Amino acid sequence: MAPTRGSSKGASSGGASKGPSKGPKGSKPSGMSSSSRVSKPSSKKNVKRPPPQEVKSKARTAPENLARKKKRVYTEAELDLPKLNQITPVGVVKPKGKKKGKVFVDDQEGMMTILAMVNAEKEGQIESKMMKARQLEEIREAKKAEAEARMKEKKFKLDAVKDSIRNKKKNKGGNDRAAESSPASSKSGSKSAKGKRKSVSFA
Amino acid sequence: MRELTEEEAKVLFSKLANYTGRSLNNLIAPPEGEQTERHVFRLQGSRVYYLPLRLANYATSIPRANLLSAGTIIGKFTKTMKFRLHITALSVIAPHSRYKVWIKANGEMPFLYGGNVLKAHAARWSEDCPEHSGVVVYSMNDEPLGFGVTARSTAEAKKLEPTGIVVFRQADAGEYLREEDSLFTA
Repeated sequence: MAPTRGSSKGASSGGASKGPSKGPKGSKPSGMSSSSRVSKPSSKKNVKRPPPQEVKSKARTAPENLARKKKRVYTEAELDLPKLNQITPVGVVKPKGKKKGKVFVDDQEGMMTILAMVNAEKEGQIESKMMKARQLEEIREAKKAEAEARMKEKKFKLDAVKDSIRNKKKNKGGNDRAAESSPASSKSGSKSAKGKRKSVSFA
Repeated sequence: MRELTEEEAKVLFSKLANYTGRSLNNLIAPPEGEQTERHVFRLQGSRVYYLPLRLANYATSIPRANLLSAGTIIGKFTKTMKFRLHITALSVIAPHSRYKVWIKANGEMPFLYGGNVLKAHAARWSEDCPEHSGVVVYSMNDEPLGFGVTARSTAEAKKLEPTGIVVFRQADAGEYLREEDSLFTA
């Protein structure tokens, strides 16, 4: 293609005879030639054009052609794939465009902010621990007090029962004494009751 | 030897904050009155060192493989990114300790041989100390011997029987001898 085109526009290469095609001087036609030829609109004639340039198609092995053209890259979100069907598992997706490697903290301010955060967290934890311990202690104390009160009550009841039994016995004894003062028949009765008491004797 | 990342710094400080109070700030930024040089934390392998910045800068001229140690070893990061304090960190922790336990002379040896602190051995301890919090263990003449974690809160410990454990040992000065081979090498 290129050589043929070049030959058709021979003006540039060998056109010493054909003046008009080249340069501002050549554009001014001599009288003869202009009348004989088919007239063209003057505006077109006067148009200045840049010199035609040869367009060469580049070889396949040229670096421009070797470099692959950028294809449009679809993000996974655009593809609208089901989550389990993606290349990267869920949760392993790394943020794109983020700097690789570690971020170091070496300046005092950075360290101090981290330390302040950690300290606040720790103090909160300790405070909550203390609160919890205090509450538990209170509960324990309350339980202890309750148990003590219950024990006291039990003891009181027991004492009351003991007293009542003692009183009964005393009363019985009192009755007996009262009975002693009553007529002799009753006396003998009481004596007989006493006489019934078992006794052990060794021969 | 490199600086710590943000995450590593956080893990390290939260461990140190177990044992120390607010004055831990002094480790990073010394109080204004004192004219001491700036100290920094550096990571070499999995171990964290605490050293003056001047020394840390010198250390950059030594290849990583050849650098054995520089400054004070604070401890090491485990593979699960937890931090383990070494006994060598005691000198860093002790001046800033939050809770303290003093042990009697007859309890020193059992502790230095790797035992926990029993109630019978504890002479006195800080008030209002919750359970499972870090404490520094001192001898009766105020020498730091090691550190550990409280087994009971102060109130509960008072009611404990004499053979009950008050502090679980984490590190003690006896490790300088017992762990001599592995304490300073990776």
